Amino acid sequence: MIRSTKTWQAVAFTAVAGLALSACGTTDTGGGSSSADDGDCNFKIAAMGALSGANASIVIPSVDGAQLALDQWDGGDCTVSLERFDTEGDPAKATPVATQIAGDESFIGVIGGAFSGETRATKTIYQDGGIPMVSQSATATDLTQDEPVEVFHRLVPYDDYQGVAIAKYLTDEAGASKVFVIDNAEAYGEPLADRVAETLGDKMVQRDKTEVGQTDFAPTISKIESAKPDAIMYGGYIAEAAPLLKQIRDAGIEAPFIGGDGLYGADFGNAVGAAGEGAVVMCPCAPIEDDSTFADDFEEEFGGKPGAYAAEGYDAMTVFLKGLEDGARNRADMLEFVNSYTGEGLSKDIAFDENGDVPADQVSYWAYKNEGGTLTPEVEVKPGS
Amino acid sequence: MDFNNLISGLDRHTLDGITRGSIYALVALGYTMVYGVMKLINFAHSEVFMVGTWAVLGTYTVIGATAGDGLGMVIAATVLALLAAMLASAGTALAVERIAYRPLRKKGAPPLIFLITGIGCSMVLVEIFGQVLRVFFGRPFGRVTVNIPSVLETKTVFTIPGIDLAVSNTRILIIVGAIVMMLALDAFVNKSRLGRGVRAVAQDPDTASLMGVNQERVIMLVFVLGGAMAGVAALLYTVQYDITKFDIGFIIGLKAFTAAVLGGIGNLRGALVGGLFLGLVEVYASAVWDSSWTNVYAFVVLVVVLMFRPTGLLGESLGKARA
Repeated sequence: MIRSTKTWQAVAFTAVAGLALSACGTTDTGGGSSSADDGDCNFKIAAMGALSGANASIVIPSVDGAQLALDQWDGGDCTVSLERFDTEGDPAKATPVATQIAGDESFIGVIGGAFSGETRATKTIYQDGGIPMVSQSATATDLTQDEPVEVFHRLVPYDDYQGVAIAKYLTDEAGASKVFVIDNAEAYGEPLADRVAETLGDKMVQRDKTEVGQTDFAPTISKIESAKPDAIMYGGYIAEAAPLLKQIRDAGIEAPFIGGDGLYGADFGNAVGAAGEGAVVMCPCAPIEDDSTFADDFEEEFGGKPGAYAAEGYDAMTVFLKGLEDGARNRADMLEFVNSYTGEGLSKDIAFDENGDVPADQVSYWAYKNEGGTLTPEVEVKPGS
Repeated sequence: MDFNNLISGLDRHTLDGITRGSIYALVALGYTMVYGVMKLINFAHSEVFMVGTWAVLGTYTVIGATAGDGLGMVIAATVLALLAAMLASAGTALAVERIAYRPLRKKGAPPLIFLITGIGCSMVLVEIFGQVLRVFFGRPFGRVTVNIPSVLETKTVFTIPGIDLAVSNTRILIIVGAIVMMLALDAFVNKSRLGRGVRAVAQDPDTASLMGVNQERVIMLVFVLGGAMAGVAALLYTVQYDITKFDIGFIIGLKAFTAAVLGGIGNLRGALVGGLFLGLVEVYASAVWDSSWTNVYAFVVLVVVLMFRPTGLLGESLGKARA
């Protein structure tokens, strides 16, 4: 027994020593590669978002889009790589990632954060590092409207517009006058539903709240049954929307169902199955023509049609690459370039206002209809007009 | 606050609450039986349930059952899925016992260690379905919500006259199924020879051993029985909600454990009472306020009940249930 303990001590000592040595090694190589300011054009661009987890299908296509833009770029003297950082969309996991990116001078730009929560948690870290961010999909209003930071830009309009767009679709396109509004009582769904409710005014018949992780929606269903709405709006994500919509249809309620961009992605159709037929998803993501060059190139490289925010991801990368072409060789120059950037993008004509937002007259949404598990663009809705 | 909604729809909310509570109760049996015999909370039990829901999906996929099949296919698919879920869940429970608990028991580990290995098993199972299987088989595995075809389509079977309450086939199946399984288990533990062994070990393991009861076999038996009940719950759950997910066991497991404590952990009938009570409380409270506070209602009720009855509503152990 004593002998075996000694053996273990020896093993443990060796392991610790090995770790220490390898740690030294890491520090050495790290020190060698972090020289960005020596005039040549070797840069990395970070993409931060939920690359795994329940909501990954809303993020991965946009990062693939960015990769495509990079692959198609003729960089001249520049060598640029895209590095993917998986946060699972979790602010707690995003914070160390942001610290790492901000601390490594070879990163000249950040694509993301993909979700609002992680962006909220990390934007001051990036601000302190002075590294420009271009988000392809973070839509929470407060990111730019309360305490804006200079480094943050986004290619999608913020949620206040989305609520208006959904309300407008409900009244103008679906002809609804008694809408039942449900949310998931968290940072994305609740304000979105609030905005829809506010815009609908007396065209909303009742409001209910659910929670994240819920699967039995019986209390909500019985409220819907007695309110007899002519349309149902849900602010939340796929994981809860799928069982909710199934139970709505199981109860024999046929009213049209509409959700925000939290439901956008191939996983919605997969999760909801036949009950999701005809459900509408509102999204600021521009539809991509099936036979466009972008769609063909994307399919060739990644083996599938461009999904959620693929065009926005492409555009985000393009902004940074244009900056490098323009001669930006450090974060400050790049930030200045992005702030004043204007140009034609795949998703829209790109420009950023003083808060880093899409200018109001560019704001546009598309209603997608779930047909046989695929989200098909139905109609464009302009909340500003 | 909308008390009118609660009162005017009381019949409907009661039916919803019993449906929800039946599933809690079936899962709670697994916690309560293991606790009764071993004085151990098996935290991996939530994943025993999760594996059952995947077995249902697997069965439907293998035999090609989908929504809109004929009656014969629906019955065959449901029965096969039930057997598959019971087998998968019981197998998982037994595997957890063999891997995480038995080796520790043999070495006389302190009780706290069992909790940690149980939680560890739970995480391993979650990650197997969330990550590992996806690497080998791709979809539908992964960290996403998965659709299970509604082979048994929800239809209104009859309407209770007078109060005009529509009752659907799935609800009948869930409520009747849960109650039948409960009664069968209760009879098994209280009437059969093996059940007597279970009660004996629950009362006094050492004396039971002296009287010739094989303690290891009793422990295996309670894991298998608890697992099989979780399998039944898994089928009923998928019939009602038509989905599964890698982490679906977490909330159900938490609620079922709450139900077990509420009813008196270690007590089979307590699990039934606790489950139904919890389901009703959640649905009633959600009708008055809304569902975003469901967990608050559930745990406030738990705290209040435990303040007055620290051993739960029925408050007896498995051994004392009817010795």
